[in-house]
Formats: sequence, structure tokens, C-alpha cells
Amino acid sequence: MRLALISDIHANLEALEAVLRDIETADVEKIHCLGDVIGYGCDPVACLRLVQDHCEIKLMGNHEYAALGLLPPSQMNNLARESMEWTVQAITDQEIAIMAEFEMDATTAGVYLVHASPCQPDSWPYILSETEARQAFPCFSQKITFFGHTHLPMVFSLTSGDFLRGRVGHDLDVDDDVQTRYLINIGSVGQPRDVDPRACYVVFDGEEGSVTYRRVEYDIKATQAKMVRAQLPQQLIERLEVGR
Amino acid sequence: MPEIIVKFDDRVIERIVTEKKRITIGRTNDNDVVLENRGVSRKHAMIEFNNNAAVIIDNESLNGTFVNNRKITEEVLRDEDVITIGKYSLVYHTESKAPAEGMASMDGTMVLNTRQQKSLIENDRLERQIVAKFGGSVLIGEENVDFSEFKLDRDVTTIGKAKFVHVKAKGMFLAGIQAKIVKETDGYCLTNLGKEGRTKVNGEAIDSCILKNGDLIEVGRSIFKFVEGE
Repeated sequence: MRLALISDIHANLEALEAVLRDIETADVEKIHCLGDVIGYGCDPVACLRLVQDHCEIKLMGNHEYAALGLLPPSQMNNLARESMEWTVQAITDQEIAIMAEFEMDATTAGVYLVHASPCQPDSWPYILSETEARQAFPCFSQKITFFGHTHLPMVFSLTSGDFLRGRVGHDLDVDDDVQTRYLINIGSVGQPRDVDPRACYVVFDGEEGSVTYRRVEYDIKATQAKMVRAQLPQQLIERLEVGR
Repeated sequence: MPEIIVKFDDRVIERIVTEKKRITIGRTNDNDVVLENRGVSRKHAMIEFNNNAAVIIDNESLNGTFVNNRKITEEVLRDEDVITIGKYSLVYHTESKAPAEGMASMDGTMVLNTRQQKSLIENDRLERQIVAKFGGSVLIGEENVDFSEFKLDRDVTTIGKAKFVHVKAKGMFLAGIQAKIVKETDGYCLTNLGKEGRTKVNGEAIDSCILKNGDLIEVGRSIFKFVEGE
């Protein structure tokens, strides 16, 4: 089974469309979305519809959780809160109903999928360090967990002898050793933060045992112009071109 | 003769026609009108009658006496005025409308007691016990629910068929999170999140509504009763 895994689109329609076009060339059977389709950007409705039409598994992100009114605003940073106020004005009951169907986690093709952390899927902690990754490994039983949330492509591997290593996201062939396990952050489609402004997603080939990061250029200027018109916070607009 | 209709949750439980000059209202049995509810003070209020006028006087009760939803200390009653005390409402009529059959005379006060009234109040008492035990508002599982009581102690309680929701509901075509109950300053608000028509209160499909004590919430095939706490 060859899968495309996308996450953290953040209402960036140009980035999502570019990624979906790229996926057409990637010869995958299914696309799964790991959450945060909305928030920050100015096209929540169009992005939700595209995800609904193209993705089989759709996971809840903290921004969907907030839009459903399930996350107290006090638990969001100022930028997220400000853009969420804009987002809830822009969406209708139809989009609410779409998000109400999103799952908190999923297991498919032998891998585990979650937005933020396998330990507490609905409390949205960040896995950025090896210490945090070490705490997360006991929380899932599969060989590989794919996740998003931090917008930073990362590969944490735990190999025999309890040897843990965290590296910037890189293509890999899955180690056959049964003791080797992975926590893989698939990066962000619509708001990358690893100093590469190109949209990021992952192709996972279950038969070959390969993980491939793909970066896709999109019309950042067009997205920014729309965000300016929508009067979204300047910081959210500027960060797209620098990718951080 | 003036008449007072006593209602509990909008259901008539007692009709009072009196020749007395004064009737007392309160929670304890030594009152002329006994209202068994924790929102009612022991000696809550009284109504004085003279020269065809009736005056309601609040007896510095804890939760207050209201006439037509306005808090009062003393107020001349007019025909059809509605007095609210706790969960009870008392409708004042200057003249008795239709003396019902089977009314028993009791010390000048005509009282109609029904079995329904007793069971209504008994139910209320049981629900009060549950609320007291849990220390707050609860959902009581009525049908197709895997709990008997669920304490609403979160800011947001989710209801649906996903495995991560707080309250599981059964039924085809339900969303993962079909509905939520949000604790607000003035009560609990139930909102439908999934496709419309699958969250009902007392049989009516809702988008969003503030829950009242005793409301029956239906999500898919599951039914819960909302019992309001302190």
C-alpha cells in the first residue's frame, strides 16, 4: 500500500492544490490527512471540501477542535486565537459537520496516525525533542507513528539497545529489525516552519518500507495577497515566504 | 374567592381556593402551601388577602420571590399574575375559575392532590439526591446509554460515536462528535455539531439551546436526562 500523508494545511488553498497535483504524480492508492486543515489561513472552506473529497482518513487537529468549540481559547497562542476568531466567522454549519466526523487517531496499513501525540491525542502536546519522543514511544504499539502539529519534518528512531535518535526529516528505508520503531513528523503543507517555504508532505510505501519527503513549490504571493485582503495578522502572512 | 394554581415544571399539581386572610408558602410542612424544592426557603413568602386585594410578601427568602419574572419584596397581585418560587410557579386568579370535582376541604383551604404530583415530587427528590451525590449537574442515562449517571464537570462535554468522546451515543449516521455541552456562566448549552436533526431536546431537533432541568436529550438512539445541580 502506497500512501500520501498530508498535515497542517492551515487553510492555505494554493499549497493544498499544489500538493494534490503533486500527489497525482506520486502513484499512491490513498491520501490520509493528519489534521489542522484550517486555522491561520484564509481558505478554510475550500480546504475542508478538498480534504473531504480526496482524503480517506481525516484526523482532528487542535484547530478543528477549537473551531468545534472544544478547546478553550486560553489554550491557544495569540496568533492562533486571532485567526480562529476569523475562521469561525468564515465557516458554516456544513463545515462544522465535516469536522465533527474527523477521528482523533487511526491505524492503517500497519502504521499509527495522530495529529500531535500518541500519548494524549486530544490534549495536543508537542513532540520536538528526543526527551518528548522517548515519552511518546511507549504510547503506541505499531512500528511507525506518523504525526504533524509542530510543522517540523522530523524522524525519531528507537533502535535496539534503547538507542533513540532525532533527526531533521529525511527519506528513509524502514529498518527490518523488529525492535526498530519510528516517530515521523510529516511536516506542514500550508505553513512550513523548517526554513523551507515549500509545501511538505510524505509518501509512505508499505511494501517497499520507504518514507519519502516531498517538497512542492506553490504560489506563495497569491496566498499572501488573499491573506492581506482578509486582514489576517501580518506575522502569519510574512512567515509563509521564509518558512518559519 | 381568589384562587391560586400551583405548577411544578409547568404541570398543575395543586389548586388552592381559600377564605383565609393569609396563606404562608414555604418548604416546611407547617406552611399552608408546601413547596418541596431546595430553591424554596422554609418560610419563603406569604399572601395576604383583604378587601378583594391580594398582596404577596417575600419573607427575605434566600432565592427570592418573583412576580412575572421580576424580583419583588412586596407586590399587589393582579389577575393572572405568575409568582415564581424555586421551580414552582403560582398563578393568581382574583376569582376561582372552575372548582374542580373531588377537591377536599381542609381548614378552609381546598387542595387537590394527585398521584402524579407525588411521583413528580418523588422523582425530583431522587434527582436532587443524585445531584447532591455528584456535587453538580448530571446526565442520567435513560436509553441506549452505557452509564446511569454522568457528571458534567468539564467546560465542554462531547457526545457522539467516536471512541474519544466523553459521552458515547448510539445510532446510525451519527458524527464522531455529534454534539457538545458547554458549561456557561448561566447554565449548560447543548449544541449540535454533526449533520442537523440528530440532536433533539424533548423531541425537537435543535441547533443550540440552554438546557433546563429535566430536559430529555436525544442523540441518535441514545437518550439522556439533564438534571441541573447547584
